[in-house]
Amino acid sequence: MRKNESNMKNRSLAGKLSNESYLNRVMFLVLITLFAIASMTIKNYFSTATALNLVANNWYIVILGVGVTFLLVSGHLDMSVGGIVAMAGVLSAYFCQPANEGFSELGQGLGMPYGVAILLTLLCCLVIGALNALFIAKMRVASIIVTLGTMSIARGIGQVAALGAQRSAGLPDIFGVIGNVPLFGPIKIAAAIAALLVIAALFIEKKTSFGRRTYLIGANREAARLSGVKVERHIALLYLLSSLLAGITGILLASEMKAGISTRGSGFEFSALVVTLLGGASIDGGVGSVLGMVIGAMILGVVSSAAYGMLLRPEWQFILKAIVTFLAIIAQRYLLDRRNK
Amino acid sequence: MEANVLEIKGLVKDYPGVRAVNEVSFEIKRNVVHCLVGENGAGKSTLIKILTGACERTCGEILLNGAEYCARNPKDAREKGISTLYQELNVVDQLTVEENLTLGLEDTFCGFLRKTDKVKKIIAVLKDLEPNINPKERVGRLSVAKKQIIEIAKAVAAETEIIIMDEPTAALSESEINRLFTIIKRLREKGVTVIYISHRLDEIFTLGDYVTVMRDGKHVATKPISEVQDRSELVQLMIGRTVIESYIPKETQAEEPLLELRNVCNHKLRDISLTVNRGEIVGFYGLIGAGKTELARAIYGADDYSGEILLHGEKLGGTPEKAIRAGIALVPEERRTQGLFTLLTIKHNISAMNLKKISNLGLINTTRERNAAKSYIGQLNIKTDSMDKETSKLSGGNQQKVVFSKCLFANADLLILDEPTRGIDVGAKAEIYSIVRELVAKGKTIMFFSSELPEILNSCDRIFLLYEGEIKAELRNGNDINSQDIIHIVTGGAAS
Amino acid sequence: MSSNCESTISRGYKAKRIIKEIYAYVILVVVVAVLSMLKGELFQRGNFLFPANVANLLRMSVPILMISSAFTLIFITGNMDLSVGSILSLTTVVNAILVLNGFSFLVSLIIVVALGVLLGTINGFLVMKLRITPVIATLITMNAYQGLARYLVPPGISSITNTETQKMPEWMGFFSKGQVFMGLSWAFIVAIVLLIALVILQKKTVFGKYLVAAGGNRTAAELSGINVVKVVWGVYILLGAVSALAGVARASYLLIGEPYTGVGAETEAIIACLLGGTVFSGGEGSVVKSFVGALIIVCLTFGLKSVIPEYWQLLAKGAVLVFAVVLNHLLSKERIAS
Repeated sequence: MRKNESNMKNRSLAGKLSNESYLNRVMFLVLITLFAIASMTIKNYFSTATALNLVANNWYIVILGVGVTFLLVSGHLDMSVGGIVAMAGVLSAYFCQPANEGFSELGQGLGMPYGVAILLTLLCCLVIGALNALFIAKMRVASIIVTLGTMSIARGIGQVAALGAQRSAGLPDIFGVIGNVPLFGPIKIAAAIAALLVIAALFIEKKTSFGRRTYLIGANREAARLSGVKVERHIALLYLLSSLLAGITGILLASEMKAGISTRGSGFEFSALVVTLLGGASIDGGVGSVLGMVIGAMILGVVSSAAYGMLLRPEWQFILKAIVTFLAIIAQRYLLDRRNK
Repeated sequence: MEANVLEIKGLVKDYPGVRAVNEVSFEIKRNVVHCLVGENGAGKSTLIKILTGACERTCGEILLNGAEYCARNPKDAREKGISTLYQELNVVDQLTVEENLTLGLEDTFCGFLRKTDKVKKIIAVLKDLEPNINPKERVGRLSVAKKQIIEIAKAVAAETEIIIMDEPTAALSESEINRLFTIIKRLREKGVTVIYISHRLDEIFTLGDYVTVMRDGKHVATKPISEVQDRSELVQLMIGRTVIESYIPKETQAEEPLLELRNVCNHKLRDISLTVNRGEIVGFYGLIGAGKTELARAIYGADDYSGEILLHGEKLGGTPEKAIRAGIALVPEERRTQGLFTLLTIKHNISAMNLKKISNLGLINTTRERNAAKSYIGQLNIKTDSMDKETSKLSGGNQQKVVFSKCLFANADLLILDEPTRGIDVGAKAEIYSIVRELVAKGKTIMFFSSELPEILNSCDRIFLLYEGEIKAELRNGNDINSQDIIHIVTGGAAS
Repeated sequence: MSSNCESTISRGYKAKRIIKEIYAYVILVVVVAVLSMLKGELFQRGNFLFPANVANLLRMSVPILMISSAFTLIFITGNMDLSVGSILSLTTVVNAILVLNGFSFLVSLIIVVALGVLLGTINGFLVMKLRITPVIATLITMNAYQGLARYLVPPGISSITNTETQKMPEWMGFFSKGQVFMGLSWAFIVAIVLLIALVILQKKTVFGKYLVAAGGNRTAAELSGINVVKVVWGVYILLGAVSALAGVARASYLLIGEPYTGVGAETEAIIACLLGGTVFSGGEGSVVKSFVGALIIVCLTFGLKSVIPEYWQLLAKGAVLVFAVVLNHLLSKERIAS
């Protein structure tokens, strides 16, 4: 009897697998399985090129996903990231297009050096983030409503600045550099930036008091406040962070295309939310992880590329995304319920 | 007609890991006021939930008028003859009084609402209870007590054989309580059986015909009130063993003021001034709604106030974060919604209030965190197999100990305890009391807010009595203290 | 002294209630007044308030008017439906396909509304039965329905329209464009009838009362024997059906099945409800005022289009939403304080 007890103690000291790592492992298995199925059914799917393309085509969702994950862990939504991507792309182009070259309105910008243009663009993105922060953290309006509004505002600014089209004429050569530095194969420097951001986010999430406070707020906002967490300030910071990441994404994408396109990033907010949900986060807050989000992004990437490989019409992407999200939510809930019984 | 309106035989309810109701059998006579008493967690609420159809029994039998009774939901229960007055306020603020009274009982024609005699009858019942409520008023504009009266009216108007009343007086003033008692007596004359649940034992002696005592999910005794000798017999039955130690007066020491309140006012509090000395346990006693929680939260900076609150002679900042830095910690009233992060593990809960202590420049040192958690699990005897367990899986008492650990880890000099023993079992209560004593012995100061007089009387050195947001009296604990007088004051009577 | 204090509070409360009651109408009047002072080139015959302009505007805006009035109910229950725009897109496309394939107006109407009921049922199932958070659940269906709408349009073309073999019948535009009464169309008359029906539903039926109970205090509603799941599910179905009806009106107005026509309709409906003073957390809302809110949006959209380029629309919409949020917040905050 006694021995039994001490055995139990030993086992527990080793620590039970947390719900989070359990889900991450399951989702990783799902990823492998999906990849295997796709490899077996689609000709030429299993190749280095496919794997490289997975990274090359999904890095931007991962960057956006970092901000959205932190927000979702704290119990908040951000639907404005797609709009900010568009706005950042157009503004970064507008700011550094030559000032007095009158061949068309769309070719005329503010003529700033590229560095200044980027800084100013990021500042504009932060303003959108600050709007979110003001309404959601301070006035406690539902985040879905506010960010739907700022989504319109951000994309609207992009459209106004691009006169409803795109800005690509007369851009300095340096504009197209940062998004097009090749690393290997189709992978460019942007993917490396995404990887660095993910590593930083993983560290912040698990090893800093900033990350811990995010979980505290999401798990119980009132208890967090009574435990001395400056809840409003923290949520504001998270929205600023998310808008900043979206701004970086927008600048990189515009640079990659050598154009600021006002329709860019439509639906990105949904994709970013989907990968976060696939990673096990819950809108009720308190759970979720950056690692899970990355796995989720890869799952979504495999599904999309498999659909492409199976020559499904691109319209299927919408429907597939919806179905995958739905299945993931239901399956994760089922798994956790069973496990925690 | 059977003499027993309700018979419960071998009733069992299992929740995962707990048996909330364990082989309970007793009978309820027709046309009586049958009281149900027991500590929190004794199984009363679960029993009531089974009777009202809010949850299903695991096994056992319930006979209503000799016939098998099983309610699928509250509406079904009402149709079969049992209506209920719930503990929580269950009114819809956005509807009018009249709409609330008829909610779920509407007479309709093809889905359209009709005004019938039924509505008039229900309103007549309400007017009988409290003539000063306008049926067209939106309920959101009414006081808590008036909302409670609306619910009482609804339960009474249902005219069922049995009415269950779960702590109906919790939010009522003395005159309202008296009116309710008159109504209950009138109901009994009409042939209704009332199952009455209350923590206020005095009410049971004034009102009850029979009493059933439950403890730890089991039935302990059912007897006529006339055969119960006094309160202490009832308390003995409820608690089973004597755990309430009597208060030991402390040797007097030099009074060194720690906390001072000067003319503190807010939406609930009226001009509160008081001083708390270092090393004291100061009790705050009053009924629900007297302003205890509001006072605790104002001191902690969780609510706005006007006036001055000084700690060590310095003004407090008015936010919880500043209060914690100044050396105050709060064990909040609602453990699950305000104190605990139920989704997170024990160790993450314990460190939550003082992340600085486990981190350098914002980087968390996990070893330090684990060590802290380990030491508090040992010190406060938190029963768990791992510090990585989510706190949602702990019992109420152990959850409360985690909240205590959290506050202790914040290095507070002054601990504000708001209803620290609510919803935890007797054993854990005793442990909490001894923790409080230990803390004071270590030089901490405690402010103890409670609506249970016995625990105030056995722990506190000084007691403030609150009524309607005001301090009505200040007493020094000792042998000469008279609990009758205290009750008199906190229910609105004049202080002698 | 305390009674004095109470009377000022209740006077303040009354003032705020009056402001809450009328501000939607005031904004509408102000917007119309400002627009009628502008001399936009796009206004026929110069003035915004010219009857032909107004009638044209009302014919054009039927879908948003319908959806906004019904959307109030979902707000009252404290839920959310982001998929209305996608339902609008999908039903517009389906209606166009049906008509193009020779179905009569009535038959295609019935089929499309039945489709709306089905889509609403799916929403209700996800939210009420599977208990997925409303925002997430309807965001999922929003994408699924939108994808379906696009999928139904054959590859290579952008919308369902006349082909070499199939032509839209002459009557296609009659529902939304035919002027039957003072320049107004049948669709607009249906929208008004729908509005009246919804008001009666909200004020005079048990269902309307249960909506408030479900949104105001769900536990209380359930303890009173109300089947909250059924009630809210019913609202989702109703909203699906109304969105489908709006789809019929839209298809008739556009004369084509445009798969993107509903994008952003959910935002417009939310703005309309907020302008109408609906409380986001549930329990309170007025169908009529949401209708007025929708009119405000319609006037702004139309009015702005004539003075500034099209690409300002989105920014303006976002700004109006933020304005509505602020207004709603200020008024509801003071209500709680009293």
